[in-house]
Amino acid sequence: MLTIRKDDKGRIHLKLVFYGPSLGGKTTALRWLYGKVEGLQKGEFTAIEDETNRTLFFDYVPMSAGGRVLFDVFTVAGQKRHRHQRKVVLQGTDGILFVADSSPDQRDENTESFEELKLFLGDALGREIPIVVMLNKRDLPNRMSRDEMLDLLGLGGNVPIYETIAVQGVGVKRAFQAIAREVILKRMYS
Amino acid sequence: MSDPKAFDKILTEIIRQDKGIKKVILVDKTGLTIANVSKLSYYPVDVDSIGAIASAVFCASEEQGKNLQIGELEIVTSEFSEGKIFASACGKGVLCVVSEAEVNIGLIRLVMKKQGVQLADELDKFLAVEPLSPKDSELDEEDLKSALAELERV
Repeated sequence: MLTIRKDDKGRIHLKLVFYGPSLGGKTTALRWLYGKVEGLQKGEFTAIEDETNRTLFFDYVPMSAGGRVLFDVFTVAGQKRHRHQRKVVLQGTDGILFVADSSPDQRDENTESFEELKLFLGDALGREIPIVVMLNKRDLPNRMSRDEMLDLLGLGGNVPIYETIAVQGVGVKRAFQAIAREVILKRMYS
Repeated sequence: MSDPKAFDKILTEIIRQDKGIKKVILVDKTGLTIANVSKLSYYPVDVDSIGAIASAVFCASEEQGKNLQIGELEIVTSEFSEGKIFASACGKGVLCVVSEAEVNIGLIRLVMKKQGVQLADELDKFLAVEPLSPKDSELDEEDLKSALAELERV
């Protein structure tokens, strides 16, 4: 049975995590949602980052579409050495937005990051914990094809896929709505 | 599930122990702030953010200890020029105390240890997976349905 986490005011909290390789666009996507999407109510943006603005631990924003359900949205630090921090951030996650990098030179990084995610979440990934995949940086002239990226990640047709350009916000809101919807439906019908 | 007011009672008990304690926060290990109390004079802060960081820092230290095989983590103390932050384990949660710089550290550690046991019991009840009453279940479903509808309008 899936648990529903609540605060002392009885509000339901759902934890969403942007996961993926370093410099893939996780923070950019979250910052775009934070800055540009007006229909979402948001708390403060918290970032634990280094002096070059690279995420050291996580970014965090509480968001709500109104009412008594809150989304606690996190990103992880993508660099390989922050593996343990990623494991910590994943604790209690209700849904994953995997941000894959369309740049061909990030092929191995995408695979490694996705394998790590599967290792951390085990069988729960895609079952108890829904996942939505963002194929980011679709504006790159030399981007990998959609099929190539899906093959790379070993994804079949049962995972929602969104082609995105996080710096411009293209596809980001739809991907966020998709994972939020999946997580809510999972809570309602499990 | 226990009464959430039980947390306020215990946290208030902690904040009253030393005049240097400014804020007490209870978070779970996913970063969710479950309850918090402040001294009236304390400046407003974003409690959700403080809670998320406190939980992450504590869990990261726990992970560090596990990797180094140096046993269970009891308390994390962060000392700043104008204040201190203490975080200790309390069952499935983390108890976080924010204080002034000049504070009786021994007393705070003792209070956190003692009240941590009580908080752990309450948290176990609060986080227990129990079949919800039909009324609670309906309320949750209504909240989720309403969030779903709002989400489509974003």
